[in-house]
Amino acid sequence: MNVPGERPILEARGLTRRFGGLVAVNNFSFSVHEDAIHGLIGPNGAGKTTTFNVISGFYAPTAGRVLFRGLDISGRKTSALAAMGLVRTFQGSTLFQEFSVLDNVRVGRHLGARAGFLSRLIGTDRISEREADAKARETLAFFGLEELAGEPVSNLPHGHQRMLGMAVALAAEPKVLLLDEPFTGMNPEETRRMMALVRRIRDRGVTIMLVEHDMQAVMNLCDIITVMNFGALLVEGAPEAVRNDPAVIEAYLGSTDGAGHAS
Amino acid sequence: MQAAGTGGLVRRTAWRLRLVFLFAMLAALPYLLSYSQQEIAVLLVINVLLVCSYRLLTLTGEWSLGHVVIMGVGAYASALLAKQFGVPVPLSMLLGGCMAAATAALLSFPLFRMKGFYFLIGSFAAGEIIRLIWKRFTDPFGGPKGLKRIDPFPDIEASFLSVDFYEPVNYYFLALAVVSVSLFVLYRIERSRIGLTFHAIHWQDRLAESVGVDTFRYRTLAFVIASFFAGIAGGLYAHYVGAVNPTRFSVDQMVYVLVWAIVGGTATFHGPILGVVVLTVINEIVLRALGLDTARPLIYGAILILSVLYLPNGLESLGPRLQARWRRWRGGPAAAGREPA
Amino acid sequence: MDLLWQTAVNATYAASYMALIAVGLVMIFGVMGVINFAHGELYMVGAYCVVFLYAQETFPFLLAVAAGLVFVGFVGIVMERTMFRPLRDNPLGGLIASIGFLLILQTLAVFGFGRRMGHVPPSTQGKIEIFGAILTYQRLFVIVAAILLLAALWAFLKRSKFGRALRACAQDAEAASLQGISMNQTARVAMFIGAGLAGVAGALTAPLVSPTPYIGHSIIVTAFIIIIVGGVGSLEGAVIAAVLYAFVHTFVTTFFDGVIANIVGLALMLAVLIVRPTGLFGARERA
Ligand SMILES: Nc1ncnc2c1ncn2[C@@H]1O[C@H](COP(=O)(O)OP(=O)(O)OP(=O)(O)O)[C@@H](O)[C@H]1O
Ligand SMILES: [Mg+2]
Repeated sequence: MNVPGERPILEARGLTRRFGGLVAVNNFSFSVHEDAIHGLIGPNGAGKTTTFNVISGFYAPTAGRVLFRGLDISGRKTSALAAMGLVRTFQGSTLFQEFSVLDNVRVGRHLGARAGFLSRLIGTDRISEREADAKARETLAFFGLEELAGEPVSNLPHGHQRMLGMAVALAAEPKVLLLDEPFTGMNPEETRRMMALVRRIRDRGVTIMLVEHDMQAVMNLCDIITVMNFGALLVEGAPEAVRNDPAVIEAYLGSTDGAGHAS
Repeated sequence: MQAAGTGGLVRRTAWRLRLVFLFAMLAALPYLLSYSQQEIAVLLVINVLLVCSYRLLTLTGEWSLGHVVIMGVGAYASALLAKQFGVPVPLSMLLGGCMAAATAALLSFPLFRMKGFYFLIGSFAAGEIIRLIWKRFTDPFGGPKGLKRIDPFPDIEASFLSVDFYEPVNYYFLALAVVSVSLFVLYRIERSRIGLTFHAIHWQDRLAESVGVDTFRYRTLAFVIASFFAGIAGGLYAHYVGAVNPTRFSVDQMVYVLVWAIVGGTATFHGPILGVVVLTVINEIVLRALGLDTARPLIYGAILILSVLYLPNGLESLGPRLQARWRRWRGGPAAAGREPA
Repeated sequence: MDLLWQTAVNATYAASYMALIAVGLVMIFGVMGVINFAHGELYMVGAYCVVFLYAQETFPFLLAVAAGLVFVGFVGIVMERTMFRPLRDNPLGGLIASIGFLLILQTLAVFGFGRRMGHVPPSTQGKIEIFGAILTYQRLFVIVAAILLLAALWAFLKRSKFGRALRACAQDAEAASLQGISMNQTARVAMFIGAGLAGVAGALTAPLVSPTPYIGHSIIVTAFIIIIVGGVGSLEGAVIAAVLYAFVHTFVTTFFDGVIANIVGLALMLAVLIVRPTGLFGARERA
């Protein structure tokens, strides 16, 4: 296993997000170190997705800050964050369902395939587009999806759609990748393959933060795990320590939903 | 690899041949028409540009109710530039397109904070405000009566060639040339990565945003491009008809654009063209022949409702559907026999 | 001072019929999720009911107004059954279909009554003076009827089982149907009430506005402004916004002119849209 770097690449400090009276994320702090696989877990409704939404710029934080490579990025636009190297995936199959598999990944290459308006019009963007195409196919090959490049997404089984979602994100060449429940709806075999892929992505120098309910996967994969409950930090530590922490067990048993997942 | 290459060549050649054939037809068309039908053909060509530019905007998933007003901005701007500042007409049309584009760029700041219904109603409100300004300020917009005696397109008077653009045939060719070039540009935009990005924003704006697409910028870009070409259509209209007024660009006219786009279908490039051509032919030839002119809005309304209900993908989807049915019908008994009931 | 007071009285009249129209539109939106573009034409049909029954056939005015309410209510039911129900999953489709319906109603009115203004003689001649401001009985009648109808609607929605069903459907159609509430039934009643309110507004004001087949346009613009300012989903909001808008519009019309008043109204709506760009669907959006 790689040893995560010392430098925090992504930090949250006192992050808070309210929806009307509901406090979805409450004074939450954590730091993710470079080259780590960092788990974020907690019972249903704990605020994990909301945390991702705030980090990735979909919601502005009500209070607190997000630092990316030491830079305060709170409240910046999602697209600007992607350009800086912070990319997230979505819970569920959020894809361009009407596109082919390849076109999905081509959209993911948006930032890499820059060209002026006129050069798009007269077709001199061909060089950068061919490059983007090659990169897109390479990314598909990485996930073993190259055979399916021409298929419409709606023909893909669920497991493949989840992988494609990661491929789209990876095509944007992130420095930090936020994965929201990458293993849900996958059978054990698919989960195993996906875990190997996540490791390989990390080995390519991408820091990973992931939310996941599959405890076995989380414990096996992550270098460090942050547990949140009711929007706030509960425990943070190495997988073994977290697994045996009474507060964590209590939190999961307290929520019937979470207990089901945490088998 | 080799086979695919020649296959591609054959297909491309077939495509080019079809295009040549199409243009030959279009060139012959005015000589088969009566004078009044020629006038309709000019307006039809202009409307093709209007509805195709509208489709570009809908690619990002937003439906505007202000597109005809934007066309009016181009028409008013071009007419005023020619009338008051003596700008030569071809140039004034181009500037009219730019004015429409600039208006769209300005409007995008309030409007693209909205989505869906709210964008629709917001664009309606913005368009009405512009229209009311034309109505209210007689100087320079001419008030409710609008602008009259707009400079026509200048005649070409060379020793060997003289073209009078007052003749509908000649204006038809002028409009055809301008619209063809515009459609080519629109087509190129859609086929490029810009078009891919527009579609991506339509289907999943959050996913697009998360891989670095600035959705606001791209929505604005679609709006500005669409408006530019709507403005060009407006200029073509103004200098052909010679008069513009606020009523000509009212929401009733916008309804026609909606009908063309929806009845034709907006999934393909040719869908809206099909819509505007078919409905104009029905309208001008069939309805006029039957003397049903006053019933025109009623019939348009009924067509609109029926196509939303029964042909949600437009006329363009009719071809493939009929083909499939035909194939099923031909292979009918056998296929039906194999299928368990 | 006199002019100010008189304008305020005029604005009260405007507020009352605008509230009827806007509340109807909100009812339809609440249950069906569709912005009914033909709402102005429903008003127009209500007005022509009075043109036909009262001005041409000399039935009593009140009877003609009641007939306007019921007839337009049934037109609403037809719209629900033929367009909005099949397009329930497609709100944009519903809106566009209602644009088609608008054209049909307009053309039918032209066929029936011609393009020109219909003339409706006043049903009463009297007027009262309130602290120096003049209010004709005809206008007073609109104000009283609006208050009575809206109060009745309010009581109906608060007290009856239907009111609860309506709120349930407006909040979450799926959950409502799980509770055994019939979506179709609720939609039909909502559509009858929503359309009927527009129709009765048209019928009540017919002697005051001289209807034309194209009067719906200015009505729908007004209604849009009001429901956007009022917050789209809320009946109370619609009433408050109607009063607000009626006063702004009437005052600007009196002291400047009608076109400026329309521009101000539209700008007001745009401003609200800019500040709260997503209205009801806010949850989907970044805050
Ligand atoms: N846009 C929103 N508006 C209002 N409330 C919201 C919104 N988004 C999330 N919430 C609320 O915030 C809380 C946290 O939700 P969140 O989706 O972050 O949980 P989660 O930890 O991702 O749960 P799960 O494991 O089920 O995905 C929930 O109570 C949810 O209802
Ligand atoms: Mg979640």
